[in-house]
Amino acid sequence: MTDDGNTSMNQQLGTPDVTVVTGAGGWLGTGLVAAFLSDKHEYQRSGRLRLLVRDPADAVALRAASDRVEVVVGDISRADTALDLFRDLHDVDAVDVIHAAGIIHPNKMADFDAVNHQGTEHILRAAENAGVRRMVHVSSNSPFGTNADVADTFGHDEPFHPYFGYGRSKMDAELRVQAAVDRGLNVVMVRPPWFYGPHQPARQTTFFTMVRTGKFPVLGGGNQRRSMVFIDNLVEGIVRAELTPTAPGLAWWIADERPYTVSEIVETVGRALTDEGYDVQPNRLKLPNVVGDIAERIDAIFQRVDKYNQQFHVLGEMNKTIAVDISAAQRDLGYSPDVSLYAGMRRSIQWCHEQGIKL
Amino acid sequence: MTATNEWAASHECEVLIIGSGAGGATTAAILAEAGHDVLIIEEGPWVDQGEVVPFSLEQMDRQYRSGGVTVALGVPSIAYTEGRCAGGGTEVNSGLYRRPPEQAIARWKSEYKIDDFDANGLLSICEEVEAQLTVQTVPGEHTRASEILRDGAAALGWQHDESPRWMSYPEGGRAVDGKRQSMTRTYLPRAFAAGARMLTEHRLVGLVMSGGGATGARLSATSTGVDQPVTITFKSVFVCGGAIQTPAILQRAGFRHRVGRTLAVHPTVKLAARFDENVNTPDDVPVFQVKEFAPGISFGGSASHPGLVALSLTDNWRDFGAAVTAWPELAIYYAAITSQGRGWVQAIPGVRDPIVTYRLTKRDRALLGQGLARLALLMLEAGAGEVYPSFKQAPLVRNRADLAKMTAAFAATKASVMTVHLCSTAPMGENHKRTATDSFGKVHGATNVWVNDAALLPDAPGVNPQASVMAIAIRNARRFADERAG
Repeated sequence: MTDDGNTSMNQQLGTPDVTVVTGAGGWLGTGLVAAFLSDKHEYQRSGRLRLLVRDPADAVALRAASDRVEVVVGDISRADTALDLFRDLHDVDAVDVIHAAGIIHPNKMADFDAVNHQGTEHILRAAENAGVRRMVHVSSNSPFGTNADVADTFGHDEPFHPYFGYGRSKMDAELRVQAAVDRGLNVVMVRPPWFYGPHQPARQTTFFTMVRTGKFPVLGGGNQRRSMVFIDNLVEGIVRAELTPTAPGLAWWIADERPYTVSEIVETVGRALTDEGYDVQPNRLKLPNVVGDIAERIDAIFQRVDKYNQQFHVLGEMNKTIAVDISAAQRDLGYSPDVSLYAGMRRSIQWCHEQGIKL
Repeated sequence: MTATNEWAASHECEVLIIGSGAGGATTAAILAEAGHDVLIIEEGPWVDQGEVVPFSLEQMDRQYRSGGVTVALGVPSIAYTEGRCAGGGTEVNSGLYRRPPEQAIARWKSEYKIDDFDANGLLSICEEVEAQLTVQTVPGEHTRASEILRDGAAALGWQHDESPRWMSYPEGGRAVDGKRQSMTRTYLPRAFAAGARMLTEHRLVGLVMSGGGATGARLSATSTGVDQPVTITFKSVFVCGGAIQTPAILQRAGFRHRVGRTLAVHPTVKLAARFDENVNTPDDVPVFQVKEFAPGISFGGSASHPGLVALSLTDNWRDFGAAVTAWPELAIYYAAITSQGRGWVQAIPGVRDPIVTYRLTKRDRALLGQGLARLALLMLEAGAGEVYPSFKQAPLVRNRADLAKMTAAFAATKASVMTVHLCSTAPMGENHKRTATDSFGKVHGATNVWVNDAALLPDAPGVNPQASVMAIAIRNARRFADERAG
């Protein structure tokens, strides 16, 4: 996968007549749709939005948001859902697809493959049949595992080394994307690491509470490096990947400007909470690295017997470095993540406060 | 004056130098030119450059210790090689020249408290060395195996460059026309011109100690096939036997403080890659190196004559063995890491070779896997149709999806881990807790025993170490001469 000489100097495409968004009820999908519909947002667009959600409750809220919105309720692990989603789009001039549906913390292991892998294949096939203009597949860092050394950084292109069940399903999805490219579909990929921001699910709220109460598990010295991405930065990366003409099949890391150390993340979140008026306890939960090793092993054993335990999975990953280099996105897409960790965290905390979520 | 392997019962000299490699040969030249009476002893034979085919099995027999490969015990065991001939490792290595990184110099100075140790001084010695050894890049055509590394790295946008070598070339010469400017062609003749003497095929049995001083050395002359005893008396002795032999010699002489406790290496894992054209140049190694992930991980090319191709396929011979018949289409490449692990060298009474152990850390083992996977990706990008990773139960890699199978199957304990860069078994500096010698190589507690070879490097520099070894040896030899000058 090499860059065919496309540069950020390319003229951006206009926004499409119809934008299809899968996973529109999810965290990222909500952020994307909010940006597309808001008059004030840099990335608001005028065309129709065709949104796929799984939960009928989400459909009601989204339909109410704008008369440009059409909502399909379904499950991408079923082939007929994809057909419903692309119904009557053949005759539309320009249709773009942002495939943001995925499952990260499932009830059972088989869901990883059904949703992330088979579901992606269903969307790819339906998009091909509909003759879409461009598709952006939202991948992940997990097909590439973790960095073996704290000083190592993932380059633009890396060998697959999937991290457990989620990583395998996201890798299989990427392979399906490459196969679709070979068949002629114009699809590219973005690979966000751990993201944060408004509309976050409960597990991320727990993260704030752990930091506020001084109980965030810092493993080893806390010098592991993590790339993160604020949701608005990620929206920018996705839109730029959609609208910047490049060769199909390319993939970009979309993250904040630079990786952070775990200590820096905990310290920054603590500062953001304090500046938002919360009473923050000093972090005392410093654990030896071996705790992460044990959690990782338990996670592996659980996954082998088709069980998934979110706590062990997250703790097992906490002593790892996952650091990525975004220079290819900067070069090819003109991507420039403006929001810093501190500013992004403050906005996330404000959002929690507005929602009445107790931290 | 040249080297001789002839026996005489006894010799006398002012300065005895044990070993004639990158450390010993430079020490000999500097001290002889400063007017000292120098005698060099070397366990191996004198073999002129060009007498044997580079990187061949014959070379392994004649110029390496133990016929080529020795093993450091551990999980996994790490195979290593040591030159054992006049000129030592400089006669047989890849000839790739890298200045000591300034980062490493600064780290050594501060952590080991080395006096008068600065980048400018060392780099100006490097300039002298570069002139003496005609260090240069290939003026003409590269080998195909070399271009593969360059092209694969370029396709991935990975930083890479050509390592210069200590070679001389005819005008516009190709890579394979290079003549290695090893110690037998450079510093040893310089030492002889200044009056130094050299005994080859003379193996040190032990130093004769009296208190903290060495008064003499007992040797065996081996050229006739029968060991004949030799004694040498001297005023001062420089131990330059390399990172394995030097600590063993010191331990047998009673020096134990931080001796042989901190062996550092660059562990490497390998693969063979097959292309749809002839890429194998049996008597040369690639000169391009990939530094995108340096200093953690570096990639380069290895010697690839048919015997070594076969060796690289043996870890999964059942599946890979048939490929050996296509050896002209195969070349071997390595991924090297900077290791957090350390090893031990321990002399055992009554046994000629010391026991060497090395322990890779968990991070080292993971980094070897990451390095091998990235190297395999580079090979695919360079157009390899098939990649054969060197570890047990390795899958054949033909495409990116196979890389996931490879990373899932990899464990460093299943890999043929090896190294050619051994150092740090008698580290130098004033930080007594971490060092075996002072800032100029004089062994702590000794009155007249110095170390002047790769053993002094406080840790592995992350690049081919010969330039670092030579620059430090020349610096220390000058200090010795200056302190004794009028």
